[in-house]
Amino acid sequence: MENIIEVKNLEKIFANQTALESVDFQVKRGEVFGFLGPSGSGKTTTIKILTGQLLPTNGEAFVFGESVEKLKQSSYRKRFGVLTDNSGLYVRLSIYDNLKLYCDLYDVSYTKIDEVLAAVNLQEDQKKRISTLSKGMTQRVTLARALLHEPELLFLDEPTSALDPVNTLHIYEGLRALNKKGTTIFLTTHDMQEADTLCDRIAFLNKGRIQLLDTPNKLKKKYSDSTITVELKNEEKIVLPAGAEGAQQLYDYMQSNQVETIHSNEPTLGDIFVQVTGRKLA
Amino acid sequence: MTFSWKRINAIFMKDYKDFSRNLAVSMVIFLPPILAAFIGRMGAASIESYYMIINMAFGMVASYVQSCLIAEEKEKNTLRGLMLSPATTTEILTGKTLLSFVLTIVTILLSIVLAGYNPANIAIIAVAIILSTFFYLGLGTLLGLYAKSVMEASVLVLPVMIIFSFGTMIIALVEQYPILKAATYLPNIQLLEIAAKVEAGIGFGDIWLHLAIIAAWAVASFATAVVIYRKRMVD
Repeated sequence: MENIIEVKNLEKIFANQTALESVDFQVKRGEVFGFLGPSGSGKTTTIKILTGQLLPTNGEAFVFGESVEKLKQSSYRKRFGVLTDNSGLYVRLSIYDNLKLYCDLYDVSYTKIDEVLAAVNLQEDQKKRISTLSKGMTQRVTLARALLHEPELLFLDEPTSALDPVNTLHIYEGLRALNKKGTTIFLTTHDMQEADTLCDRIAFLNKGRIQLLDTPNKLKKKYSDSTITVELKNEEKIVLPAGAEGAQQLYDYMQSNQVETIHSNEPTLGDIFVQVTGRKLA
Repeated sequence: MTFSWKRINAIFMKDYKDFSRNLAVSMVIFLPPILAAFIGRMGAASIESYYMIINMAFGMVASYVQSCLIAEEKEKNTLRGLMLSPATTTEILTGKTLLSFVLTIVTILLSIVLAGYNPANIAIIAVAIILSTFFYLGLGTLLGLYAKSVMEASVLVLPVMIIFSFGTMIIALVEQYPILKAATYLPNIQLLEIAAKVEAGIGFGDIWLHLAIIAAWAVASFATAVVIYRKRMVD
């Protein structure tokens, strides 16, 4: 499959501080790619470089097969959308007026406004001024704005960080639907559950370097200790090893009708991150 | 290079709605007409006093309003949204300038009427005022791009308002301080010279150089604004 993003040996140094170091990765067209790391790990810097807002110190970055330098051209900017951590909305204008402006800028029909507001669960609020909205609602408007022109490539920087669980699920559905239509999604988050739910592949970024890159399932299998936990009817929990010995023990418990539940002991992505980097995601 | 009136109009309409709800900035457009009405009622107005009001309108509306509109876009991070959209530099800067241009022209027209100023040659004065407006808009854009917030823009624009509103007083000091001769090439002084020559019945043939000097200031201010804008596109 074609690479929509290709990053080679990317480096960014601010004053004396290295924000990104030897970063290499590719994002395939149509996939949801997660960029995971704690605050200050270089996630936003990477998005800024990939959208032409920041120049790399060294290395190369290609989007749509072209150097990111070319993203300054108007024709390329129609092809991607960005949701950043700071809203960039006009606070004295209504939700509708904000989206109407972007319809005109991207040459999109105003009928699309209802569609994107439905996707973020804000149809009833379109006449409200941005200044009157909660943080979560503002974040949903920002997401609606990014979805308006159905970009080929969507950069999402912590898209659900201020949302409640119900709206988070609603946004996930919207993103999955958009991805099914062909939009490639580049998602940065420190929410491991979000990454696990949405992403086809994930990269762990720590102190400006990529530590791991693979599918969530492969990572979990790789870092699994292959044990299983058996909960007995007397509420005792027993961890059984992999292999013949564990299988025999499990057989014995089942034979004597003592088993209540059986769980495989896969690590979460959060566990893997801590194991690999020695840092917690926050 | 693309040039879309739809995008320019969208930015203009957005600015119009936003500005009309921003009383802190929009109030200033009433000051020059109020002063003009006072001067008109006093009945002893001179060319210098008319042009003090006109230059004040340039400073308060063209430069101040424009710098605040741009600085607020920067402060609220909305300028980045425009920069990341398919709109070109020309479309964004034209759209962002259009509201201040319209407001400046309307404020000056209203001030001229209220002050009772009847230029001997309306066409030449109109051309001179429009060229001057472009200079002050360029300057306002530049200050707005330089400032990090509306507050900072409001402070930066103060010297501009003082120099260009009351700068015509410099002429009285030129004989005493020859170094101030250079200041006579400022666009506000050039505008005053055009006005004086027009009242003396001098035609376009002897005025074009003054118009060219103002046009050169306008081109220089916008060219610098475009360079700074393009630098601001990248962090």
